[in-house]
Amino acid sequence: MALVYDFFVWGSAITTSNIAKVYARTVRALDGVDLAVAEGKIFALLGPNGAGKTTLMRILTTQIRPTAGEARVFGLDVVREGAKVRKIIGYVPQEMSVWTDLSGYENLLIYAKIYGIPPRDRPRLLDEVLTKLGLKEAARNLVRTYSGGMIRRLEIASALLIRPKVLFLDEPTIGLDPSARKAVWTELGKFKEGDGVTIFFNTHYMDEADLYAEEIGIINQGKLVIVGTAMELKRSVGGEVITLSLKSNAFAPERLRSLSFVQDVIVAEEEVRVVVQDAETSLPSLLEFLRQDGVSVTRVAMTKPTLDDVFLKYAGTRFEAGGRVSEVRQMRRMIRRG
Amino acid sequence: MLGLSALWAMWELELRRLRHDRLELYTRAVQPLLWIGVFGPIMGAIRAIPTGGIPYTSFITPGVLIQSTTFVSIFYGLTIVWERESGILKKLLVTPASRASLVVGRAMAAGVRAVVQALVIVPIALLVGVRFYPHPLYFLGALGVIFLSSGGFAALSMLVASFLKTRERFMGIGQALTFPLFFASNALYPVAMMPKALQVFAQVNPMSYVVDAVRALIITGDTSRLGTDLLAILAFDLLMFAVASASFRRIIE
Ligand SMILES: Nc1ncnc2c1ncn2[C@@H]1O[C@H](COP(=O)(O)OP(=O)(O)OP(=O)(O)O)[C@@H](O)[C@H]1O
Ligand SMILES: [Mg+2]
Repeated sequence: MALVYDFFVWGSAITTSNIAKVYARTVRALDGVDLAVAEGKIFALLGPNGAGKTTLMRILTTQIRPTAGEARVFGLDVVREGAKVRKIIGYVPQEMSVWTDLSGYENLLIYAKIYGIPPRDRPRLLDEVLTKLGLKEAARNLVRTYSGGMIRRLEIASALLIRPKVLFLDEPTIGLDPSARKAVWTELGKFKEGDGVTIFFNTHYMDEADLYAEEIGIINQGKLVIVGTAMELKRSVGGEVITLSLKSNAFAPERLRSLSFVQDVIVAEEEVRVVVQDAETSLPSLLEFLRQDGVSVTRVAMTKPTLDDVFLKYAGTRFEAGGRVSEVRQMRRMIRRG
Repeated sequence: MLGLSALWAMWELELRRLRHDRLELYTRAVQPLLWIGVFGPIMGAIRAIPTGGIPYTSFITPGVLIQSTTFVSIFYGLTIVWERESGILKKLLVTPASRASLVVGRAMAAGVRAVVQALVIVPIALLVGVRFYPHPLYFLGALGVIFLSSGGFAALSMLVASFLKTRERFMGIGQALTFPLFFASNALYPVAMMPKALQVFAQVNPMSYVVDAVRALIITGDTSRLGTDLLAILAFDLLMFAVASASFRRIIE
């Protein structure tokens, strides 16, 4: 029995140990995933189409059983203690999950009843989540008339009704335009601050993971390839690059190499590329050093590794966003025909 | 009791959806109107079918009613298919409600829809001149029978939905399921008039028992077989609930 608890890290909201999922005896959607998400964190599972993100989330939310391995949410086993897990989690699936022929308020009311929230608490709770997600005005309108962003916010509102300890969001901003995406995350941020909820979200948008996640796990072909903060991941790829254009010919690369913060110097045609750990803090010292050496700089540019470079390094391929368009279209169609 | 509150919530869901969109309720009343208003009087005029002394139109009214409400519940599977394609079913699975209570809840929600459908058709029958057995309790009992049996048919359709999974395939099956049940029952003619093989089928056809019970309660007032009918309906429901719950896994994987 002790073995089972070995991987259970204290303070973790979610832990998985060697989770595998094989669909229909042939499709290996997950291939041994080990993960620990700390309580109160915003965690992003980032990966391309078909990487296994939804599969992992469906296992964590007790919808489907893993073929092998174990997963726990706040120490509760998702297979054996599924009913208890469901009482402490909120979930927004990748596809639309509201009844479009009801009003936003009615959708929440039905879910409040399914969750068994007592009648005396309902008005206050509904009002609270509607206000928090900026849906108060539209609450009485049929969901059919909502925009994609409003629908997503309604879904999040309904997931927050029970004040979950963990909020699972499967591609929370798929198919939304940039301003609607921003609105969704602004509201989520507020909620996280107030209630300290742990947020686990799937995404294939690198910038979304970069901007909003405190920790990112990159998944590819059913394998979790690396986990860390955006900063850690990018640093792990290699340093940042300061590219300089110089006026003077009297430039000696060796002089720069002697500086403690410089990792490498590459002279390429008119340009000099200086590889450093952190471009923003190194730049002033670098420029000062060159000035004292009598080298005048005409142009400076900084480039930093992106999550794309991270993905390239650890997954061995470029992160491709192809094939998503059809899905977005499908989602839209769903909303319309509802 | 969480199971119960989830059940109520699903009935309320259905009533609210009906309140927002009543068109389907009326369009689905057209076919029964034709049976009772046109087919019934014409066939009745020939007096070819022994009805035990009641006017032919009155004789077929329970059957037409049940055909219509069964259609409603059989097509409820389509709602489930749609909810599977969208994320609603996934979301419901992540609520604390048990899977069995989800299946039974949704099936009985179809029963709610069916009862409302029946309430739309009854006034039409009255207008056409069908004489109902004048006993409000009997009438309420008939609604109860419709409610119960519709739950079983809806569970059957959810079972079918768990195999088919797409709405296109489901559309055809819905028709192919309802009409044989209807024609191979006592809805339009006494079972004794059918070919032997069909009579055997009519014996195990749950719709025969439903029609028999409703006919007793709203037309003849002869409740001598009501107990048997109710037992048969209850057995059908329990069987369907059990099988549909067991196969619910299939629909979500
Ligand atoms: N119910 C299922 N039956 C069979 N195969 C499945 C099923 N669900 C997913 N798969 C397969 O498992 C793999 C992982 O799918 P999954 O949906 O988990 O990926 P994802 O990362 O969420 O992708 P997306 O970005 O498209 O949502 C894919 O190859 C997919 O085709
Ligand atoms: Mg997915």
